[in-house]
Amino acid sequence: MVSPINGFIASYYLQVKRFWRSKSRVIGSIVQPVFWMIFFGIGFTKSVRLIGPAVSYIDFLIPGVILMTIFTASFMGGMSVIWDKEFGFMKVVLVSPAPRQMSLLGRIMGDATIALFQGLIISLVAYPLTSNLNYLAIPIVLGVAFLVSISVSSIGITIASKMRSFEGFGLIVNLISMPLTFASGVFFPIDTMPDWMKIIAYISPLTYGADIARSLMLGISSMDIMTDIFALSILTIMFVSMALIIFEKTTIE
Amino acid sequence: MDIAIETINLTKRFGDLTAVDHINIGIRKGEIFGLLGPNGAGKTTTIHMLATILKPTEGTAFVGGYDILSESEKVRRIIGIVFQDTTVDRNLTGFENLWVYGKLYGLSGSYLKDRIVELLRFVELERWKDVPLRKYSGGMIRRLEIARSMLNEPEILFLDEPTLGLDPQTRVHIWEYIRRIREEKDITILLTTHYLEEADVLCDGLAIIDYGKIIAIGSPNELKSKVSGDTIYLKIAHEDGRKIDFFMRSIAENLNAKPQLLRDSRVMIVVPNAPQIIPQIFRIASETEITIKELTYSRPSLNEVFIKLTGRSIRDESGSIMQLMRLRRAIRFGRR
Repeated sequence: MVSPINGFIASYYLQVKRFWRSKSRVIGSIVQPVFWMIFFGIGFTKSVRLIGPAVSYIDFLIPGVILMTIFTASFMGGMSVIWDKEFGFMKVVLVSPAPRQMSLLGRIMGDATIALFQGLIISLVAYPLTSNLNYLAIPIVLGVAFLVSISVSSIGITIASKMRSFEGFGLIVNLISMPLTFASGVFFPIDTMPDWMKIIAYISPLTYGADIARSLMLGISSMDIMTDIFALSILTIMFVSMALIIFEKTTIE
Repeated sequence: MDIAIETINLTKRFGDLTAVDHINIGIRKGEIFGLLGPNGAGKTTTIHMLATILKPTEGTAFVGGYDILSESEKVRRIIGIVFQDTTVDRNLTGFENLWVYGKLYGLSGSYLKDRIVELLRFVELERWKDVPLRKYSGGMIRRLEIARSMLNEPEILFLDEPTLGLDPQTRVHIWEYIRRIREEKDITILLTTHYLEEADVLCDGLAIIDYGKIIAIGSPNELKSKVSGDTIYLKIAHEDGRKIDFFMRSIAENLNAKPQLLRDSRVMIVVPNAPQIIPQIFRIASETEITIKELTYSRPSLNEVFIKLTGRSIRDESGSIMQLMRLRRAIRFGRR
């Protein structure tokens, strides 16, 4: 009897191992958010004062960027689906007796773990840039970020299941993740957004993740933390279910 | 003898293109059975259906006694497969690639580790087990994939063009492994190939497939006996049709043979003994004012069988490449 957990382990192992093997991905995933924090954060702090909370911009920005790093990394996890389709490993997964749901969940969890690792690195890098953030909350923040990561990995994998080229995937992901990132309250609070932008914010897992992170680390938030957690859980269930349904139908040609 | 694989009107259509057309074959347990045919003939599609990763449009098949439609999970457990394209992760080592595969089949612990090492030894890659596949050659990756396909101790092994793109020396090497697998592990092997010598040397039974249809079935020797005698090929200069017609008729009458006109003004004549007949062919050619530009002859081979059945050579790629491209396009657009 094939224990279903084995399919999970196989996919999880594959995702994590691959990430470790490609050093450029490890470095690239960390450098970009560091640039955001340094240039955007330090540059803007001198010239921008937020309406409302009396905090410096960089303190406002850091919790958001930690979550944004995890958000972007999770999205990119879908790339491995394209990779596996292109280089054939997907066939091996599909022809095996391991249930597809299990290998998909392993994949999502693997991607989420990688994303969390990147989030942790960014948190450490950001530490010297500020003295007003509560770093003791980081473990809880990463716990919440895990939900964000699972839901966004699911979106990435869903898109990738429908695409066949790396370029196409990159384009679509940019098209979706850019507005989601900007509307998620990472760079400016959602309270001051026009209504149409708020709609985008409310369907983005990043909005709730960033809000919780800011609430725990800085003590300011746009929404009640229980509301955040509830909404984030609903979105996670929704996106994971979507990925499960789409992945089940993935075929090889 | 027991039957390992049986197909019943197995059919696959992509849009309006029929890739596999009502195939009925039976493969005995323990034999190496080959699907021989040009590119795009439907060999890979057939294998994919038998391996349960493609649903037939019509018909079904039994693999190891299990229905590919209603018992696909059971089928998956008892088969091993080497796909036509490489299906490895090049960033992982040989050991890691096999480990992930073993996990997908529910193996674990020291049993899995021992089995990986044993199989890597079998394909002589033990020394390379901790090297990333980026550093492997094409032949080494193929060997690794063969080892991998046996990890779950399959009863039935599918090999889709196992030596495609490999140099002749490596090809012979792979053949040895395939033979040893059959001898040592008592596995039924279904392989596809468009290499005639591969089918001839390796297979106990063969089905010749063209445009999705089985056009002949039997052992290599049975098939070759369909073509009795030597085959002479002529290439003649472009003459007008009436002259060629006359030439063909003279050949038929004088030599008691049935000449066949192939494409590009080539003629195929099957005779009992070519060296004796060849002078007469030249005589008839000069009498009928036909210029012979080239003449070759060959002992019976599967290629002659294929030509006899289809009127073209199996190596004649141009026709089948078009078929292949149409097939690929149909699959691409038919998917949605």
